[in-house]
Amino acid sequence: MLLPTHENVISIVQAKFSCTEIVRTLHLNASITQKGWVDESRILALVEHDSTFALFIIISEKVKPESFSDLTIERAIPIDKHFSCDTDPIPESYTHIIFSIIHKKLKLNFVIEIGFESSNFASEVIRLKEVSSFNVNNFNWLDKYSCGGSQTEIDVQQATMNDQSPDLPIVRQKVAQGHGISANRESFLRYQLSLKEPEYTHLQEFSIFVGTWNVNGQPPTISLKNWLSVDQEPPDVYAIGFQELDLSKEAFLMFDTPREAEWRKAIMDAIHPDTKYRSVAYVRLVGMQLEVLVNNSHYKYIRNVAIDTVGTGILGKMGNKGGVAVRLELHNTSLCFVNAHLAAGVEEVERRNQDYNDINQRANFRRHPYTIKEHDQVYWLGDLNYRITEQSAFQVKKYLASDDLASVLLADQLNQQKDLSKVLQDYTEGDITFQPTYKFDLNSDVYDTSEKARAPAWTDRILWKGKGIHQLAYRSHMDLKISDHKPVSALFKSEICVVDQNKYRKVHEEVLKKMDKLENEFLPQVTVDQSEVIFDTVKFREPQHREIIIANTGQVLAEFEFIKKLDDVSYCKEWLSITPFSGCIKPGEKCDLRLIVNLEQPLESIYDILVLHLIGGKDMFITVSGECQRSCFTTSIATLSRAPVPLLQLTPDQFKHAENQQSSILYSIPRELWLLVDHLYRNGLKTRELFESTALHEEIIRIRDWLDLGSMDPIPGSIHAVAEALLLFLSYTRDPIIPYHLHDTCIAAASNYQNCKQIVMQKMSDLDRNVFLYLCMFLQELLKYSNENGTDPKTLATIFGDILLRDPIRNSRPQANRGKASFIYHFLINDQSSLIMPCK
Amino acid sequence: MSAGPYNYSYIFKYIIIGDMGVGKSCLLHQFTEKKFMSDCPHTIGVEFGTRIIEVAGQKIKLQIWDTAGQERFRAVTRSYYRGAAGALMVYDITRRSTYNHLSSWLTDTRNLTNPSTVIFLIGNKCDLEGQRDVTYEEAKQFADENGLMFVEASAKTGQNVEEAFLETARKIYQSIQDGRLDLNAAESGVQHKPSQPGRNTLSNDQQFNKDNCAC
Repeated sequence: MLLPTHENVISIVQAKFSCTEIVRTLHLNASITQKGWVDESRILALVEHDSTFALFIIISEKVKPESFSDLTIERAIPIDKHFSCDTDPIPESYTHIIFSIIHKKLKLNFVIEIGFESSNFASEVIRLKEVSSFNVNNFNWLDKYSCGGSQTEIDVQQATMNDQSPDLPIVRQKVAQGHGISANRESFLRYQLSLKEPEYTHLQEFSIFVGTWNVNGQPPTISLKNWLSVDQEPPDVYAIGFQELDLSKEAFLMFDTPREAEWRKAIMDAIHPDTKYRSVAYVRLVGMQLEVLVNNSHYKYIRNVAIDTVGTGILGKMGNKGGVAVRLELHNTSLCFVNAHLAAGVEEVERRNQDYNDINQRANFRRHPYTIKEHDQVYWLGDLNYRITEQSAFQVKKYLASDDLASVLLADQLNQQKDLSKVLQDYTEGDITFQPTYKFDLNSDVYDTSEKARAPAWTDRILWKGKGIHQLAYRSHMDLKISDHKPVSALFKSEICVVDQNKYRKVHEEVLKKMDKLENEFLPQVTVDQSEVIFDTVKFREPQHREIIIANTGQVLAEFEFIKKLDDVSYCKEWLSITPFSGCIKPGEKCDLRLIVNLEQPLESIYDILVLHLIGGKDMFITVSGECQRSCFTTSIATLSRAPVPLLQLTPDQFKHAENQQSSILYSIPRELWLLVDHLYRNGLKTRELFESTALHEEIIRIRDWLDLGSMDPIPGSIHAVAEALLLFLSYTRDPIIPYHLHDTCIAAASNYQNCKQIVMQKMSDLDRNVFLYLCMFLQELLKYSNENGTDPKTLATIFGDILLRDPIRNSRPQANRGKASFIYHFLINDQSSLIMPCK
Repeated sequence: MSAGPYNYSYIFKYIIIGDMGVGKSCLLHQFTEKKFMSDCPHTIGVEFGTRIIEVAGQKIKLQIWDTAGQERFRAVTRSYYRGAAGALMVYDITRRSTYNHLSSWLTDTRNLTNPSTVIFLIGNKCDLEGQRDVTYEEAKQFADENGLMFVEASAKTGQNVEEAFLETARKIYQSIQDGRLDLNAAESGVQHKPSQPGRNTLSNDQQFNKDNCAC
């Protein structure tokens, strides 16, 4: 209904841009939404520059911007290939939809009213999107707009974080959480402040003048002073409503009328001369017009002005009947003025009641509070059109002649319907002490002398709802005779909640503090039952586990994960595993974590600090430590060959000397290797699948201890266990038998036996070569009994190739295994006895 | 009544560092809760606290990371320095050893934060005048020589606690105004928009092989 102003707004918005940037179309009143709460409205503008288009989001300080200085550009979004838009219905809303704008990771949702404006705007955006997809466009002109804005930054920020951050899921998770907290924070703050309102406000009485007049389409040929300036003191607020401002067809169809300006001027000419007034809001729907003015000195305390119109006339929606409303906040009190013109006709009581209900239900200010009834104070004025029934015009006139208003008021439809709670249920009306204001012969004080001879009625009324409103006067103004109605006015002394800025700041501060406290309390909190986990002596391939209990002692869900420290590749060392390493714990519940240590490295001790991170909260350190027992399995060939006794019988000094290669080599191959191989040589040559079956874990541990501690007893465990122990021994020696640096050479030489032999003879150390050739001879011995044990050179070459040419990182480069096997194969089928040399 | 959808326009990240037992957690608690924690356990990890303050009419949210002081955690807590806009370096005026270690804490701070990070030296436990082991003058001199802001404070009485946190924020805000602190730098420790506890502290990808919550 307010479309005429659209063009004006375009020119105001255009003033924000340079002459090469042209505002093509606009959408007013697009409310940006964030997770359920609706922010103030924005103006969306499609702007063209050099055949490129961008969507601008603009904040307007006023409902209807009056100059470009009222506008702030919040954001510019290029309509390029990253741009898309979408519309979604709002559940249970037939009047509004959500219009989403998506650009890269940015998504903004706007609530817009369904209608010509929105469908026109949306289809234009979609069309431009289609066009732009085909072109590579230059949007440099938007750069200068990229730094403004704050209000929608939540989404924007989410977008930029996502854009930049490599760890997207975590960020999204965090922001998802934080988003909620921040959004709630605002409403929490508002709620807390409203609870404490009495602490920082005091009530101050304001005089409010409310006037209503059905002017019967007449132009203002007379002064309104005898209506608007009859009181001694100038009122603080004026709310002046007209009905039937213009009865012409043009006004009804084109929404435009010269009367509008004429009557507004008549108001300005007639308001109280002792004070300056300023118009706060003005709204008109066909013949219904409402203007709110305030004393200049109060203007700065007016905020959040909004208007709406509801047509209830022809088809139940046209503007020949209905209501117009203005809402605003004066200091801390919300006021709503409704000027209504309800259905005419003596019999149309139900229709009038219906119009009243429709206005209440359909008026929507598109911001909080949305509806009329939610305001602290509501002033309802207008030509409500309720008549006098049950009494003839003659009868009524007779009562009036004798000043017996009470008898007539008994028959007043509005009083009757109100008593039945059919209309204006919660509203109060002052005592009527004036004559009915309808229907007069024009330019007279004579009630209707036409053929219809309607009974005089109080059609023009003023009612109110809310706390602290005292009516000082309620009257008609008989001097104004140009219409068939007489104007009515009411003067109120209303208590307005005035904020004491100092007290407000203090309370605001307190609430913020309380929120800080709450926020800290609502951080995830857990306790762990131990922050130091100490393992018993950790032995080679003998896993141990410890349990840690994490208890959620906070008030919110605790989401935890172990995170890696700077420069680490994982959240724990390779000898440790944690299950689960992440999870969620509900408040009051617990979670058991299992820490399993499995040592396969030559370590003297294990030590690590684990970082247990609570998402959105603190970090806890858990120290893991333990002493390790050394084993021949992870000791180097060079050290073992220098050890005179089993490893665990060595004195620390002996071990140190052996390890530093200070003591002399005592054996040409390690004692432990000889024990394993010799056992297999004596007992296993005819065993089928010697290296291909798995032993019990305990057997391996017994063999490990037997080797490390030394014993006079025979070697424990089955022949297969001894075979597996041999493979493990060769797999875990500190360095591989064939050193890493020779691997590539060996694989390259694998096709030629002479080359392979040369590597072994010339490149390997004596000790390594001895071990290597000793193993090959044993395997050759094994192959002699292939009929009994079923083995073959290729299988053995494959098994031992992988172990003797061990990769630095386990299980890498499987494609090299063929080369490794070929290399070993040569040494299984050729005689090498001549190659063995005594160690020096 | 409110200024916008958020009631703060910046987030500053702080870290609190210093030897074990100098009162780092108590300072944080005093600042966020206005209370003294008399039997505060050793921090084993990194505690997290938050408060909104006002500087030059701007609401600023402080995100404060209170680190474990034990020497054995030093290597781990170093990961938390990154991206701090303010570092509160604390010693105990009744224990000289905690003062003697300041140069090592300062070296870490300088190495691990960026040049615009504001470092504030706090001599805590100034309520224990009788047991004083470090004079105000020598600490002041140390602070001056190293370009640190300095104050003696008491987490117990609350003396100067508020001041230390606020003064640091003022200095950071000033750096922003002067343009010395680049808001767009990833590790400035300042965000011009609200978000949750920004956790890019430990490393850029704390991902491992984890996609979502295990429950």
